[in-house]
Amino acid sequence: MGGKSDVWQGTLALMVLRTLKTMGAQHGYGIARRIEQTSGEALELNYGTIYPALLKLEQEGFIRSRWGTSDNNRRAKYYELTRAGERQLRKSAEEWRKTQEIVARFLAPAGES
Amino acid sequence: MNKLRGFWIRFLGFFAGRRVEEEFNAELAAHLALAIEDGEHAGLTPEEARRRALVQLGGAEQTRQAHREQRTLPWFETFCQDVRFGLRTMANSPGFTAVAVLTLAVGIGANSAVFSVAEAALLRSWPARDPGRIVRLVSRTPQGESVNLSYADYRDLAAQSHSFDEVLVCDRRGKDLNVDGGTLAVLDDVVSRNYFSVLGREPRVGRNFSAAANGSPEVIVSETLWRRAFHADPSLVGRQVVLTRRAYTVIGIAPPGFRGLQRGIPTDLWLPVDAESSPAELADRKFRGFEMLGRLRNGVTLEQAQVELATIAARLAASYPEADKAQTIGLISERARLREAMVPTLLLMATVGLVLLICCANVAGMLLARAEKRRKEMAMRLALGAGRLRLVRQLLTESLLLAFAASALGLLLAFGILRLQPALMPPAQFELGLDLRLDPAALAFTTAVSLFAVLVFGLVPAIQSARTGVLPALKADEQTGRRLLRRFTLRDALVVAEIALSTVLLTVTGLLLRSLMASQRMNLGFDSHRRLYFFDLAPGIAGYDLTRSAQFLREAETRIAATPGVVHAAIARRVLLSDSGGGSNLRVSIPGLELPQEQQSVPIKLNAVDEGYFATVGTRILEGRAFNGADTAASTRVAAISETMARRYWPGQSAIGHEIEAAGKDSWQIVAVVEDAKINNIHEGPEPYIYFPFAQSPTVWGTLIVETTGGSAAMTARLRQEIQALDPNVPIEVRNMDYLMEQAFWSERMSAGFASVVSALGLLLGAIGLYVVVAAVVSRRSREIGIRMALGAARRDVLRMVLFRGLRLGVVGALIGILPSLAVARQMASMIYGVSRYDPLTYAGSALFIAVVALAATWLPARRAASLDPMESLRAE
Repeated sequence: MGGKSDVWQGTLALMVLRTLKTMGAQHGYGIARRIEQTSGEALELNYGTIYPALLKLEQEGFIRSRWGTSDNNRRAKYYELTRAGERQLRKSAEEWRKTQEIVARFLAPAGES
Repeated sequence: MNKLRGFWIRFLGFFAGRRVEEEFNAELAAHLALAIEDGEHAGLTPEEARRRALVQLGGAEQTRQAHREQRTLPWFETFCQDVRFGLRTMANSPGFTAVAVLTLAVGIGANSAVFSVAEAALLRSWPARDPGRIVRLVSRTPQGESVNLSYADYRDLAAQSHSFDEVLVCDRRGKDLNVDGGTLAVLDDVVSRNYFSVLGREPRVGRNFSAAANGSPEVIVSETLWRRAFHADPSLVGRQVVLTRRAYTVIGIAPPGFRGLQRGIPTDLWLPVDAESSPAELADRKFRGFEMLGRLRNGVTLEQAQVELATIAARLAASYPEADKAQTIGLISERARLREAMVPTLLLMATVGLVLLICCANVAGMLLARAEKRRKEMAMRLALGAGRLRLVRQLLTESLLLAFAASALGLLLAFGILRLQPALMPPAQFELGLDLRLDPAALAFTTAVSLFAVLVFGLVPAIQSARTGVLPALKADEQTGRRLLRRFTLRDALVVAEIALSTVLLTVTGLLLRSLMASQRMNLGFDSHRRLYFFDLAPGIAGYDLTRSAQFLREAETRIAATPGVVHAAIARRVLLSDSGGGSNLRVSIPGLELPQEQQSVPIKLNAVDEGYFATVGTRILEGRAFNGADTAASTRVAAISETMARRYWPGQSAIGHEIEAAGKDSWQIVAVVEDAKINNIHEGPEPYIYFPFAQSPTVWGTLIVETTGGSAAMTARLRQEIQALDPNVPIEVRNMDYLMEQAFWSERMSAGFASVVSALGLLLGAIGLYVVVAAVVSRRSREIGIRMALGAARRDVLRMVLFRGLRLGVVGALIGILPSLAVARQMASMIYGVSRYDPLTYAGSALFIAVVALAATWLPARRAASLDPMESLRAE
């Protein structure tokens, strides 16, 4: 696993948590599709990568899963946020915003500093 | 927190098995079904929908793989694979595995055992809290430095100095403990009541000595004695015990592992000094019998304390000129003393460390040899796409397995070695020895040593194997192999070094053994081959005064002499070569003899013996007469002197009839000159020695020396009964000549024994190393040997060729080893007696021995080479 994908995984985890917060319980396919849609199709996501990320979040106790039935009567595994997940979402969202601000300052048009 | 949780779930995931895999398959199937459904809704054909769903997913198998990796710890999984593979490899070559594991186990075991000794002697032995602030007060007089001071001086020093939190005194004595109807000899420390608090230790059960109980006979028992003599009975505290006919109340049990201040000679119990000694005794400034230790006050340096003590010592010297005139008080930090004690221990650790290195070198050699054989396997793996790093990892895992097995075995070995301690201690009437055990520190050390060993012996072969070029190895290119053969390789160098080292060890051992043999032939000045028993009797302890004690000893001697089986019996104040053999000095002046200035008298050691003594122990009378029954307290005082004394003070004339004087008080007439005898130890030079008739210089203790015709336990018991019949209250200790000899030769036997073991080990390892090298050469050259034989070389020639190769290494090693042997022998001059340190027999003997061992180690592979079938070795590959 290279450094790049680590960062990617970190962001992906944040996206997953955020998606689950908005949508409530959702299955892997639904989460992946939603992320793609939210990004305005700007993000080309290999849906498969969602599963290791989901597993990692579950191992760390931020989400939990159970088998359920979809709108059109299909059995699927549904994921939902745990309380620790809610906290983690707030924390990472905050961190992400800070990082963004700092980076934005560096990238601000030259001449200001 | 959550990361750790993740780690554990992943770790456990390794054991989860198939169910999780199936569940994920179901999840994936549901995913695809949902995606396909969406596609169909968008108007795609089912086939197209399925294709797009799979593309979007990024491949089902890839997803499964990524999921699997997240599920468990991939490196851990790989590690388990490597372990399984390694175990198979080990099982496939049991001989290789056994030799490698045993070799390493010897090295690791020896290191763990020695570490435990070092730990007990250096790390754990200082029993005090914050030992860095503990200092020892020593008395310095023109006679030299002594750790013993008088109690009166202690009281003044403790009261006047401000450098210490507190100062303790301590005096090692001996007592008889009544236990289970018998008596047990125990070592007690007579201590000031603040002893435990200065050291910062609290009794494990019961209470500490307190100043309030001044004068009451109390005792604190060591944990070891509590277990040994009182069966760990918790109700012991508060009970009374009898020590040498006096009752004491047990007030506490010392903390576990606390064994007093003397390393190697553990204290059994502690008694308060105020209950042990009379006030008069404690006030006597000339009785210097106490060790003093103080705890430096915080912020006070050793130098500051030293300055203050100098002032106090000067004041004492002025106030009590008679006792303290020339005395100054010095300070030695216990840490400094400890540092001195470290040298031999570190030397020992260096020695076994070297042994471990040799072990590692051997195993590295074996692994290198095997790596040769596995070149093809490695090349095949590389060709099939294994990463080089992965190969190194796998080979290191194999080494780790070897080290693990070796550590387990090594620990067992270390445990066994530590159990030998009682057998290796010098004979003594008390339990001696360090508190040896394999504790967590020792286990940690063993682990560290093993990991170190893996790095040393495993890394180089592993890297070398992984460097294998794929193509040449697969083509079985013998060219590379042959190039390696010709030159003097690293492995050859290792073997030569091992053999050189073995030569040194062997020579040292030879010298020590020859010296031991010479010592045993030495004339000791008495007959060490007689069956002598020594009954140490102490009527004084049973309350006898001088007259009654003399009477008691005389009666005991008469009874014993009349016992069947007894040849001779005699009484002596001291037994030669025993703990008390030296005895005190008498300052003797010799009328008519000019002694150097400032010295009116010379100190001479002395003994008091009765008329049967010389005949009983076999000391020859060279001139004059033995003592006899007419030499009584009332008759003229007489003395016998040693040959050396006679020659030194009356050179060229007979000493008989001359007089000696002591401190201007008494004088004795010399009636006999007897042969020199060893007094304290077997290696001292002859010195002046005086014997007085026991009747004229009686003591309230003495040793009854008995020569018997047959030595047996029954005989000893019989004699003991005879003495006890007189008075069962008089304490008896029995020793015999064997015991004395064992004690006298103990250190020589130990060093010779230790050197023998180490050199045998070194030799064995050297032989294994040589064998491995030669065997590897034979197996690599089998093709060449086959060609030679096919071309007409006789088996004899092949045998000679291989033997020559091994012998060459052996001879080079032995020659190289001679120089350091000479240097080491020089350093050991003080340990070698009666034999030259250039003793040609020893050097020639060890060289010859090395040659024989080298020949033996080479013989097996040489035989194998000579019995090769030329056709088969050519057809192979």
